[in-house]
Amino acid sequence: MTSTLRNDFLSIAAFAALIVLAVPLFFGFDGYELNTFARYLCLGMVAMALALSWGTAGILNLGQAAPFGLGAYIMAMHLKLMNSTSMPGGMPDFMGWMNIETLPWFWQPFHSLGFTLLAGLLFPAAMAFAIGAFIFKGRVSGVFVAIITLAVLVAIQLLFVEEQGYTGGQNGLTGLALLTIFGVTIDNYSLNFYYLVAASLLIVTVLATMLSRSKAGLVLRAVREDPNRARFLGYDVSNYEILVFSVSAAIAGFAGMLYTLVLQFASPTYMSVSFSLSIVIWCAVGGRESLIGAAIGAIVVNMLEGRLSDVFVEAWLMVLGVLFIAIVLFLPRGLYGLAVSVLDAMRSQDKARHGTTAKTGEPTRPGESASTSPTASLSAGE
Amino acid sequence: MAQLEIRDLTVDFGGFRAVDGLNLNVEKGELLCLLGPNGAGKSTTLDLICGKTQPTSGKVVFDGATITNLPEFKRARHGVGRKFQIPSVFKRLTVRENLELARSQRPGVWANITRILAKPSEALEKIMETVGLTDQRHVLAENLSHGQTQWLEIAMLLSQDCKLLLMDEPTAGMTASETQRTAAILEKLHGERTIVVVEHDMQFVRKVARRITVLHQGSVLAEGSIKDIESNPEVRSAYLGH
Ligand SMILES: Nc1ncnc2c1ncn2[C@@H]1O[C@H](COP(=O)(O)OP(=O)(O)O)[C@@H](O)[C@H]1O
Ligand SMILES: [Mg+2]
Repeated sequence: MTSTLRNDFLSIAAFAALIVLAVPLFFGFDGYELNTFARYLCLGMVAMALALSWGTAGILNLGQAAPFGLGAYIMAMHLKLMNSTSMPGGMPDFMGWMNIETLPWFWQPFHSLGFTLLAGLLFPAAMAFAIGAFIFKGRVSGVFVAIITLAVLVAIQLLFVEEQGYTGGQNGLTGLALLTIFGVTIDNYSLNFYYLVAASLLIVTVLATMLSRSKAGLVLRAVREDPNRARFLGYDVSNYEILVFSVSAAIAGFAGMLYTLVLQFASPTYMSVSFSLSIVIWCAVGGRESLIGAAIGAIVVNMLEGRLSDVFVEAWLMVLGVLFIAIVLFLPRGLYGLAVSVLDAMRSQDKARHGTTAKTGEPTRPGESASTSPTASLSAGE
Repeated sequence: MAQLEIRDLTVDFGGFRAVDGLNLNVEKGELLCLLGPNGAGKSTTLDLICGKTQPTSGKVVFDGATITNLPEFKRARHGVGRKFQIPSVFKRLTVRENLELARSQRPGVWANITRILAKPSEALEKIMETVGLTDQRHVLAENLSHGQTQWLEIAMLLSQDCKLLLMDEPTAGMTASETQRTAAILEKLHGERTIVVVEHDMQFVRKVARRITVLHQGSVLAEGSIKDIESNPEVRSAYLGH
């Protein structure tokens, strides 16, 4: 095993220990308490999705909330139908209020859970594929990518708010059933539910890490640095960009589905600009170069919000803004970068103490603390 | 037939012929040095071979295929590799990662998404050894010395598996010991790959060159071994001025 792979393994193991053991232990394995933390994990997942495209390939997607919201609505549609079986025509209540006669065709397939789960991943991915093809085949780059993705987000949210009869409009989809899978009904306030979310996040972490460690991930990191040079080596850069953009959307969609399960409703605020920009901030706080770092950024900021928004109420968004500016100015590589520097400093101090003749081992890149530091492991993304 | 054949190659930059009716043959595995005063058209010649510049007339044949008007990347696929004066390595990737990237024989997304980079291949190990970067494999390219960066770029061309290496002043800005090491690298490659190198450092040229072609005003002024060239009165006057 090379040192990078070993570091990946260690950092994923540490992250797993944190969310599977440490956190439940802290909350006394109480499912009710853990529901809030499950919400943080979902937000961590969408931050990780952004880190995959922004950190790895340098694609700043300001509309990451769009695939997240789509995933959330897709799951909510299924749960809403499950709760509407006793209604006339099996139609959701809000449709009746809007004088809709029959269940629209695009709602029909969501009776099936299998279809719903697939759609929650593939629909956001397909949409990202179409938008990505337009953006990247057209060689749009940098700030224009950010503008286009933001515009798409605004358009989608508008559509969901306007089409009240089909989407529940401003209210979103509420009054949902609990998820029943293989005959088992999952209570979102149970310990098992927390483990379902945690396991989902870990699976995504492993898959996303594999992608970023594959040769395709290497090409993406090269594209981030110099797309033209990558083209000269024979890579069709746009295909790689479309790939990561779509995978990132699928992960966001997955996170959105889980989010609906946690909160038991879907709302157009999941696709708001401020929520989408928050994802960028979490990513920056945690460190976009690291997938796990980004997830931890989301968890930490949301925990802070949970504590501080009672105190600051209205001012919370301002606190978040100030935090973002501070991070950009003082910690451009986020908490992850900070951890790497601290570990590096500790290591060199250690070396000084133990004399300089200590084995140097495999030469490591600067900014990475050899194989002993789990948090440093994803640094090949820099 | 020579591996690289250049026939009556001419490029006209708005009335100024930087390369003018140039004829050149390079055999497989040969190491040819291009010499000539500033503005003689050496870099332009390399541009024409690698496709950075399109000729006005004439022909470039490589491995039996006429590549005169092919775009750069297609020539690269034919095995023509160009090392530019300003190195263009990926600074924020490690030595090893740069080399893996350069191995782009299968550039498709699907081929690369399932490939995990575990151990470097034997070929890659050999390349790192050839250019003396084995111990630097995990170092970010931005932390390499000037000489090491140049060697990394040469190694990338080797990793790309190019058959013809075009190098423009590879030792520019190098220390004496780095220049020596570069010469040693070229020595090692000699016979294995075809190399055309533009160089000013006579010490270096003496060490590596088997055959030298002197350009002047876009065409061949003299050709021969280092001895022939050094004793050629026309060459002397071209260098010293008219
Ligand atoms: N794109 C260009 N347009 C006009 N003139 C050029 C261009 N490229 C090179 N030249 C001219 O062609 C001549 C040969 O240049 P070059 O091949 O760089 O010489 P050298 O032998 O020093 O490498 C120079 O006089 C240069 O100014
Ligand atoms: Mg030149």
